[in-house]
Amino acid sequence: MEEPKYYDIRHVAGISTHIDIDNSVVESAGSSFFDTAVIRVLGQKGWGVLTVDNFGEKSRAETDGFIQEALKFAAVTEEPVELADAPGGILPVPVMKEDPGDVSLGEKCELLLSIEAAARKPGIMNTRARYSESSGTVCFTDSGGNEYSYEMVRSGYSVVAVARKNGTMQMGRESEHTISGLNLRHKEVKGSLAAERAIKLLDALPAKGGRMNAVLDQELAGVFAHEAIGHASEGDLVKEGVSVIKDKIGEKIGDGCLTVVDDPTMPEFGFMPVDAEGVAVHRTEIIRSGVLVNYLHNRQTLAAVGNGVAGHARAVSGDVPLVRMSNTFIENGDSTMDEIIECCRDGILLKGSRGGQVDPGRGVFQFNAEYGYIIKNGELKEMVRDVSLSGDILSTLHNIVMCADDRKMTPGYCGKGGQSVPVTDGAPHVLLKDAVIGGQGV
Amino acid sequence: MSEAGEIAELSETIISAGLRVADEVEVYLAEGSSVSAELKRDIIGEAGASDAWALGIRTIKDGKIGISSTSNPRKWRQCLDAAVASTILATPQEWNGLPGPADLKRKMDVFDSEIEIDISVVCELISGMLEGAKEHTVDVAGGSAGLSTGRVTLANSSSLLYTREKTGVGISLETISGTSTGYEFDNSCFIKDVDPEEVGRQAAFLAAHSVGGTDIQSGAYDVILSPLSVSQLIGAVLLPALNGRNVKAGRSFFADKLGEKCMDEKFSLYDDPFSGPGSTTWDAEGVPTKRLDFVKNGVLECFSYDLKTACRYGEKSTGSAVRGGAGGSPSIGVHNLYIDGPRSDIADERALYTHSLIGAHTANAITGDFSVELSNASWMEGGSYGEPIRSGMLSGNVFEMVDNIGGMSHESRTIGSIILPSVRFNNLQIIGK
Repeated sequence: MEEPKYYDIRHVAGISTHIDIDNSVVESAGSSFFDTAVIRVLGQKGWGVLTVDNFGEKSRAETDGFIQEALKFAAVTEEPVELADAPGGILPVPVMKEDPGDVSLGEKCELLLSIEAAARKPGIMNTRARYSESSGTVCFTDSGGNEYSYEMVRSGYSVVAVARKNGTMQMGRESEHTISGLNLRHKEVKGSLAAERAIKLLDALPAKGGRMNAVLDQELAGVFAHEAIGHASEGDLVKEGVSVIKDKIGEKIGDGCLTVVDDPTMPEFGFMPVDAEGVAVHRTEIIRSGVLVNYLHNRQTLAAVGNGVAGHARAVSGDVPLVRMSNTFIENGDSTMDEIIECCRDGILLKGSRGGQVDPGRGVFQFNAEYGYIIKNGELKEMVRDVSLSGDILSTLHNIVMCADDRKMTPGYCGKGGQSVPVTDGAPHVLLKDAVIGGQGV
Repeated sequence: MSEAGEIAELSETIISAGLRVADEVEVYLAEGSSVSAELKRDIIGEAGASDAWALGIRTIKDGKIGISSTSNPRKWRQCLDAAVASTILATPQEWNGLPGPADLKRKMDVFDSEIEIDISVVCELISGMLEGAKEHTVDVAGGSAGLSTGRVTLANSSSLLYTREKTGVGISLETISGTSTGYEFDNSCFIKDVDPEEVGRQAAFLAAHSVGGTDIQSGAYDVILSPLSVSQLIGAVLLPALNGRNVKAGRSFFADKLGEKCMDEKFSLYDDPFSGPGSTTWDAEGVPTKRLDFVKNGVLECFSYDLKTACRYGEKSTGSAVRGGAGGSPSIGVHNLYIDGPRSDIADERALYTHSLIGAHTANAITGDFSVELSNASWMEGGSYGEPIRSGMLSGNVFEMVDNIGGMSHESRTIGSIILPSVRFNNLQIIGK
């Protein structure tokens, strides 16, 4: 019988709960059950991978059988794999203020209904609120004798309001996701905020596209850190040659005011106590004062590429670990937001995010703000809607020339390779010179 | 996979247990196995297999619908209990019952008996793509190939029991030349319908052709969107607006426009559940499917409904329920969406062509406004590719665009469950240098 060079097993089992409310009707509220393991085996060359449902019920003999079967798949691979040594270790999971598991689904429903009701203001045509909660146990073992297990509960909600006037519609959205326990109490203000924004947007003008100075708020600048810098620093992309910042370690790729960090140890939505390969997690500076200092790695990409630390492997239940971000942010600078608006002079303030996308090999990104304000003579003027930002990573990093001292973290989800993982992005307000702004206004 | 008899027996057990506490019970079972391999640059770095089993249960009591799912066949009772508990919180609604069996004679072709779930076949698909990619001087950055087979079973307390077997093959290749990238893919139920060499050739062409792109001045241009680009915008904006639930909830642009001409007369949009990769004679709730003409020559003719939305608002289900897997609630979707209209040589006159869009999902689904980055953009004239374009942002409004179509190409392509041509739009706004 062939012995694997290495194997690991990551077994995730738990319960997911959802509530979906649409115009005060509880469309659906309930729980479902998941239980899957991924077995990865290194043969003579690359990885063999087997996905097995209901792994908790399997015997040791069955597990050995899975390892042998995975080896057969490994036999068709040709890529030689080396795994860098990386210290194991697990952090305690932060204690929750209120365990959502202790609160009945009925009570969560009532709380969500009150957030949704707060969005029902005159002029609002539709209100929608959703709650999701995932509570599970992750168990990791590998052929080196490492074993870790932890339990975590992630939960959060979103509320959307649609306003309508004279045949035009606009939407406002608020959401919050967390690992620190139930976050549904006393959140009616979020429903009101979503509604008020939707109503205000009805009178906002479409943004005028073109090149101009832009101030990015904390949420959007966080998305910038994630899309434009974080993805390109992922070791697998660097290894496969599809990152525009490959071979640039030690180079000054951004303005001196720019420091960008990925920190899975922060008790935010992207927190993980140990990575998906059993490696201890660390704060990793990607860019320090404008200089590219580290890539994010798993054990394989660290061995292949170097320049960084392992501990950035993540996986969803039933899928293989990939190099991923966790809590990614631009460090505070020493300016104030007012100074930044004043230095911008004429341009646009971009607020909130509807998401973004990057082609890290080409070095081009796009993302969309929920709304914005025109800046004229260093002062905020009228509100605008539907405003996007695109650019190429390498020139844009030099154009972030001021960072405020008001960093804020915003939780969300990030997709890569078909896997969606919880992350937090953050930043202070930043000034981006000569940005490419997309909008339909003329 | 399990024997068909075992599945029928398990469904019956769950239904009879459920009927003791609920008025109606529905069981949705999905089983499948797949093999796949991943390229790391131009060599296979990972290969594997997956077996999946999932059970979704819905119970209905006094017009309240509950749902749960599990991946464990032995835990069906826990799943049933959770579904019943879930009915308690749901708001009661008008409900006319789950459908009984219908005489569905038509046979749908979504199963390829030639497909063997064998890793060596996957490796051949990958070799084919790599061979095709050699036609251009680029580096292969990654790619994948996979084969799958699966069976879904739907049973309910109105004596309905349907099963469908389906196979799938999927391939993709990613290439790069300097900082010029290319990506191409194909999916089908039938292995003979995918052409790995052509996918490889096309992925390599995209990266090779985009090298040395030139800047474009901001302004209004005639733009040809590839089938992929059109599907990205349609999926983000047009499909949600045709969904009956969004229409009735007051968040669809089309809500009060039924029977009106709200698109170009050269634009038609329909769901044909009998032709294409999503073909089926019954939807995810067991309602017989039918062709739906959403838009005929520019006139808005219908919206799509599942049972729940239809009953609540006094409409009829259009057989449009779909599920992401057994774990998900049924929701309103499409089976095979076709975009059609008069075809012509749309690339004869000079236009900007874009193969893909970056950030199409950030389009505003309520208003249709978007501004996205071009990907693999190029000038096109006389039916051929011209100079590549380095970068540019395309801004517009999807609802306005479909009201002013410049033309549709002769050939169509399947992207997921959408079958569509390239579409020419005149006078769209580009933000460049």
